[in-house]
Amino acid sequence: MINKFAILGLMIIGISCESREEITRQQYVVEGMNLYQTNCANCHQVDGSGLKDLYPPLAKTDLWQRVKMSELACIIKHGQKDSIRVNGKPYNAYMPANPKLQALDIAELMTYMREKWSPNKTIFSLDSARYALKNCP
Amino acid sequence: MQQKRIPLSKIVFVFLVVLGCQQEKKLPFLGPKEVGKQGDTLYHKIPDFKFLNQDSLWVSQKDMAGKIYVADFFFTTCPTICPTMKTQLLRIFDKFAEDDRVRILSHTIDPEYDGVRVLKDYAKKLNITSPRWNLVTGKKSDIYRLGEKSYMVTAQEDANEEGGFVHSGAFILVDQNRHVRGIYDGTKEEDVNHLIEDMTLLLKE
Ligand code: HEC
Repeated sequence: MINKFAILGLMIIGISCESREEITRQQYVVEGMNLYQTNCANCHQVDGSGLKDLYPPLAKTDLWQRVKMSELACIIKHGQKDSIRVNGKPYNAYMPANPKLQALDIAELMTYMREKWSPNKTIFSLDSARYALKNCP
Repeated sequence: MQQKRIPLSKIVFVFLVVLGCQQEKKLPFLGPKEVGKQGDTLYHKIPDFKFLNQDSLWVSQKDMAGKIYVADFFFTTCPTICPTMKTQLLRIFDKFAEDDRVRILSHTIDPEYDGVRVLKDYAKKLNITSPRWNLVTGKKSDIYRLGEKSYMVTAQEDANEEGGFVHSGAFILVDQNRHVRGIYDGTKEEDVNHLIEDMTLLLKE
């Protein structure tokens, strides 16, 4: 009996010790997953593998080294039409803009994508998203 | 424990019923039916058509004669359901890669933008090859009429829709004699599994 309480106590301490930021990050990941599945998975696929030479992958890609996070936010919001090289392979299709996605949505999306596919699994904060979107080219 | 014997006649009966059912499983004929002169049923049929494919070649009902095919309607710049539909069609393409009795016929509903060159580029990126998979373009009114009257799907321009068109994500299964035998939701993986099963069944007819 005592044991059970001890474990419970430890768990509660554990949870409350988790930083606020980590809790927010986890919320973003969950929300971001929904956003990804409704807005992006049709092209980039649920697992981020892309579709042949038409839609580039978001998993196992040099994207995370090649593209700055602020640029990424702008691509998601405003779409892209340039020729790009992903893992050395050229892509030049058209990615539509997502005018409906707000700064918070983009922060959540990017936090989710980082969690799944980037080596850097940190939060992309709402402030960073706002700042990036204000300074899109 | 006492064992109950099941009489042999019962087993045989059940066996026959199961066997009978399996043989009877046949795909329906869809669309409006008419009664012919001899009182026979005339099933809805895809009329003659002629469109240009990604290799600048004409594709008509003659190229589909004796084949079963899956038809769909899409456009290359479609942001919403077309990519999902193409993912699913690629599964079918791969699944029946060795079978020359199977074709895929994708009609663009944005022929003004999706000319032969755009279709060729799209095909190349997805590794789609004719004649097994034709991406076709033509006169807009012809494509829309064929879509609505013959394949029984909606395809319309609509400035309010994302991408500028409304269209259903349907896959239409057509048999060797131009009859529609099934309509599936091309955006749902399970529905497409069902379609693949039905194609296998149809190939046995
Ligand atoms: C209609 C299909 C489509 C949808 C939907 C779509 N994308 Fe894209 N995406 C593309 C295409 C095509 C490209 C390549 C664009 C180019 O060639 O410039 C691309 C490129 C990208 C890139 C850049 C990749 C790189 O390596 O530089 C990112 C990041 C990206 N998409 C993320 C997203 C996210 C996040 C969403 C959802 C909000 C999304 N995309 C929705 C088609 C799509």
